[in-house]
Amino acid sequence: MSAIPPSRESPLSRRALFKAAGLAGAAAVLPLAGCGSAPSSQNGVTTLRFMQNKPEVVAYFNRVIKDFEALNPDIRVIQDFNEGNFVPGLVRNDPPDVVTRGFAQATADFVRKGVFADLSDHPAAATIDPKVQDLVSSWGRYNGHETSALPFSLAAAGVIYNRDVFEAQGVAVPTTWDEFVAACEKFKAAGITPIYGTFKDSWTLGQGMFDYLAGGSLDVAGFFAKLTAKGAAISEDAKESFTSNFGPVLPKMLELAAFSQKGATSKNYADGNAAFAKGQAAMYLQGPWALSQLVAANKDVRLGSFPLPVTNNPADTKARVNVDMALSITRNTPNMAAARRFVSYLLDPSVVNAYNEKNAAFSPLKEAPAVENPQITGLAASVRAGRYYQGATTYFPPSVPLYNYIQSFVYGKNGEQFLSALDDEWRRVAERTAV
Amino acid sequence: MTAFPLTARRTPHDPDRPALRRNNRSGREGYKVNWWLTALMLVASLTVLLPLYFTVAMALKSPDQIGTGTGLAWPSPVNWENFGAAYVATDFPRAFMSTAFVTVLSVLGSLACSSLVAYAIARNWNRRFFRGSFVYLLSAMFIPFPVIILPLIKQTALLGLDNPGGVVFLHVLGGISFNTLLYIAFVRSIPVELEESARLDGATTWQVFRRIIFPLLAPMNATVGIFAFLGSWNDFLLPQMMIADPALQTLPVVQMLFQGEFNTNYSLAFASYLMAMAPTLVVYILAQRWVLSGVMRGAVK
Repeated sequence: MSAIPPSRESPLSRRALFKAAGLAGAAAVLPLAGCGSAPSSQNGVTTLRFMQNKPEVVAYFNRVIKDFEALNPDIRVIQDFNEGNFVPGLVRNDPPDVVTRGFAQATADFVRKGVFADLSDHPAAATIDPKVQDLVSSWGRYNGHETSALPFSLAAAGVIYNRDVFEAQGVAVPTTWDEFVAACEKFKAAGITPIYGTFKDSWTLGQGMFDYLAGGSLDVAGFFAKLTAKGAAISEDAKESFTSNFGPVLPKMLELAAFSQKGATSKNYADGNAAFAKGQAAMYLQGPWALSQLVAANKDVRLGSFPLPVTNNPADTKARVNVDMALSITRNTPNMAAARRFVSYLLDPSVVNAYNEKNAAFSPLKEAPAVENPQITGLAASVRAGRYYQGATTYFPPSVPLYNYIQSFVYGKNGEQFLSALDDEWRRVAERTAV
Repeated sequence: MTAFPLTARRTPHDPDRPALRRNNRSGREGYKVNWWLTALMLVASLTVLLPLYFTVAMALKSPDQIGTGTGLAWPSPVNWENFGAAYVATDFPRAFMSTAFVTVLSVLGSLACSSLVAYAIARNWNRRFFRGSFVYLLSAMFIPFPVIILPLIKQTALLGLDNPGGVVFLHVLGGISFNTLLYIAFVRSIPVELEESARLDGATTWQVFRRIIFPLLAPMNATVGIFAFLGSWNDFLLPQMMIADPALQTLPVVQMLFQGEFNTNYSLAFASYLMAMAPTLVVYILAQRWVLSGVMRGAVK
């Protein structure tokens, strides 16, 4: 046994450290004790918890909340962007009162379980464009008729293009597939990369070329409705299968992939943003979320968007959309009246239109003003006419590693294997989840 | 770097440090420097230094400097505003206090609980109940945490622990298996005779633990303390899911602010990571010699 450490003499003994730690601990407790969870209604002021799904607009919503509180002194709103706490909130039976979520498969699961209150009688529901509301309803409704979420922001995605590069080469925005291919050839001949590819991040292939080409070639919503109806009985040669429907999409995917720069397989989304912002390519298959990143990387870049034409009939051209934010109120909230007032405020034309104009998205209201942001004006015509679809990738359950399949198809070019793998995966999930 | 005084006796005062270094140098006479190994160490040290360099460089870049070049270049001009912006965006003082609260209490709780448990078990090894309880505690290490997280959330909510206090409780509880394992091995190596002599002088069990055993556990306390500190300071999952009130959320969770689904604000994120990392570095620098001495102590048994 060696000697007891002579720590007592050392300048920073354990005891001193513990003392300091104890003091720090006590100091930490004091301010925290003051702000423990307050009851939701105090002195006539109702406290609402508002869970918001986009961390990048926290500061924006803090200002919105401030304006709301000034008009409604009896309501206090606490914003929370920690979406990971939503399920624990449900488990605790203490979920946030008002929730925004990106609306797709995962949120639809909550809807089907009746987590959200019915908003069909909410006055703001009548102001929403029914076509946009249908995007939400298409994922299923609770009890078959309830309105569980009101869309707040509609993001439309297409091809982002560099206006300077287009003008320098004298290329007009293509409206047909042939024009699009001709434009790519022209850029290529001029030594400019037509499309910047970021194949390393497989999701960019999924939401980009796969979704755009599938959405432009076939009725995605109808396809998945039939596929789901068929259930586990699906086989490869059935007329509802991927193999029978997605065939025409694949050669075009390879054609697009061939227009990408050399080494696209080793570039990720962040590389793509940096390179495209510096004008290293003419086009970029990304949605509006990339715009702020591109501008951050180069504030002088002049960008525009257009929906990818997939056929030679310009009237067929559609944009890929997703309900980026949809407002819901949790069913069991004790503050229903206050929550409904907050939702009314958020869906007030001045608030919802201002948000969408600022964040390169489209307002879901029937009487939305024309979009002025030049980065997305090219998509406005499609969106207003309702010529849009939700991406095919969003219909897949998360248990299917779809993006990896898409990536390996783009690399390996084996279309039959790709589609039969999708059929197999879909059948396996259907078998597991069949009731 | 390799010159840690393995053979030199620990000297109590800092002012003696230069002396210690001199001793050390003379003590090393006759050693041959292994240049191959030194070169290997230098290369290995890059695995720590390079990411650290990237973190610092990133934190000082403006958004348009981020995508340029290899990332190795030092930003020019240096953008100090990132720290201020990150400080405001995360409401740093509040998040920091919350994290500090969780961490300090987790460390103290882990030290106190685990050492007591270990002492009780090690000194009652002949009884079946204590042997069984040791196995019971160890078996908890085989349950993956994500499996039990939702039931735990339900349980803590019922007990009113859906706040930083509950996180502390679970950190202490979750660490008890591993920490007890560390402590028991160490307590066993302390001769019972030491305790017997104290008992002859009339010490109670508590006094024996407090005055004899706990101080002798010092190296292990440092090890457990550092594990507990790092574990709770850096923990993300537990606070994210447990703390209901966003105003009481801890730093790692608040820092998610900089990472949207498709947008990452790298410069603010790294500035904020650096600020959050500072206490870890300080604690590591202060506590590392205890850890190393603990390693030595175990080695010569």
